[in-house]
Amino acid sequence: MIIEKFLNKWILFFLLLIPILGFVLEEPYYITLTTKVIILGIAGIGLNLALGYCGLISFGHAAFFGLGGYVTGILSFHALNSELMFSWPFIASGSSNMLVIWPIVIITSALLSFIIGVLSLRTTGVYFIMITLAFAQMLYFFAISWPNYGGEDGLSIYMRNSFPMVNTMDPTTFYMICLFWLLLAVFISAKLINSSFGMAFQAVKQNEERVKSVGIETFKVKLLVFIISGTITGLAGSLYTDLNRFVSPSVLNWQMSGEIMVFVILGGIARLYGPLVGAAFFIVLEQTLGVYTENWQFWLGLILILEILYVRSGILSLFEKKLKYEK
Amino acid sequence: MKNKILNIKSLSKSYGAFKVTDEITIDLHFDEIHALIGPNGAGKSTLIKQIVGSVKHDIGSIILDQEDITDLTDIERAKIGISRTFQVSSIIPQFSAIDNIILSLLDKSNKTFQLFKSVKNNKELYLNAKKILREIELQEKSDVSASDLSHGDRRKLEVGLALAMDPKVFLFDEPMAGLDESGTNMMINLFKKIKSNSPILLIEHDMDAVFALADRVSVINYGKIVATGTVDEIRQNELVRDVYLGYEI
Repeated sequence: MIIEKFLNKWILFFLLLIPILGFVLEEPYYITLTTKVIILGIAGIGLNLALGYCGLISFGHAAFFGLGGYVTGILSFHALNSELMFSWPFIASGSSNMLVIWPIVIITSALLSFIIGVLSLRTTGVYFIMITLAFAQMLYFFAISWPNYGGEDGLSIYMRNSFPMVNTMDPTTFYMICLFWLLLAVFISAKLINSSFGMAFQAVKQNEERVKSVGIETFKVKLLVFIISGTITGLAGSLYTDLNRFVSPSVLNWQMSGEIMVFVILGGIARLYGPLVGAAFFIVLEQTLGVYTENWQFWLGLILILEILYVRSGILSLFEKKLKYEK
Repeated sequence: MKNKILNIKSLSKSYGAFKVTDEITIDLHFDEIHALIGPNGAGKSTLIKQIVGSVKHDIGSIILDQEDITDLTDIERAKIGISRTFQVSSIIPQFSAIDNIILSLLDKSNKTFQLFKSVKNNKELYLNAKKILREIELQEKSDVSASDLSHGDRRKLEVGLALAMDPKVFLFDEPMAGLDESGTNMMINLFKKIKSNSPILLIEHDMDAVFALADRVSVINYGKIVATGTVDEIRQNELVRDVYLGYEI
């Protein structure tokens, strides 16, 4: 645990160093690339709460990621076109202000997580995996068949949404906004994990029958974890739309759910910064191997197999072992 | 009726044609340890599962402290005061001994949904948990991971988890299985102490412990209660000697 905290401090230091490096090297591309890592890391941190700490193997977190992305895209689209979103039962116009968009994303993601959670948490094991996957796929096909917002082609928003008094089109500024959300997601996760609620949901992962026998309502515990998890992932989806200034049904696809799960597994299940490290590793592989072959994910698959067979607790545990050895 | 805290009437459970429990009627008085003995497969553990609500019964009723709890879920029954131990130790393996006890204290202290306050800073929970660890003689191992505890210590921790709930009744399923002599003596003394607050329905194969502890004993065979009485009455009962105790006792 002490070594993990030491590693986490280094990761944080490295993240704060990136904008300086980008500025010195005059390579804003690296800032944008790390912004992508941070956003995907936030999505993974969301999933890690449910999967890593509570044992809920959700294969449908793309639903929340995509919802956050589409809510951001749709609000922005209407703001840019000066069109009303709807006029009944109340009048609602779009917005390109992040301070308006984020609360709406948080509320809608929490609501969707609640609906999916209430229905899917009645099942366990493979049925839970399949039902979460089914929900995400339903949203995916709904997005494809919704021509108002680009259908299969997706929705471009041309301008990144605004934040008071700063220029969000500046890569460093947007990076700092995303870094803020990352730190908040880590802070919330850490607080939850160390709370009595965290004790309850971590116990559910290990022995649900025992937790029930001491009078704890495990369904409510799992539902609340699932809602918090989905909400964090939804917020990541919102930032992802702003990063790309584009959202398409691919963010709702099962492949996206799989990728978020890969971040968690690669970095280390039930580790605070694990999904961020996993996302970084994923993007580095994509950027390096992707130069040589389109099918770079073949190598990702190989690495995953080796990791699951030999280093189950993720990339972070490799550093831990090395540090322990050096001590 | 007034001196009965737990009253089970005609409780039955069948799997197909096989009757695991067959119209079992049994009660538990205040200040009492009521032992339930019988051969393996007689239906003792199934009866415990039916009382806690993890196995649904086919017919019958369960009254706890004059309240009909027959239709309550297992969690609701735990909340209103039924606390159990499992036949095979069922603890949270990656938690320390003290964290296992704290988990058991959460619901009673309304802290399960406390989202952001660190549990490590909750002195009240820690003090209560330490008190229970002292009672089960595990205070020296409070920070040891439950998965690293010996079998005997896990049995003690099981009982500690039940104690932490401060229930109306305890249902102990072979709490002394695998304990050494000092562990068994510790349990016997502990049970004698706690029964005045929360009576105990005890399943146990260690007959010396049963005869040292029980105020009443019921014998179950093929899912039916075949005899109920004091220790002496049960010792003298021909049928009981036939089905379970043997003639050498």
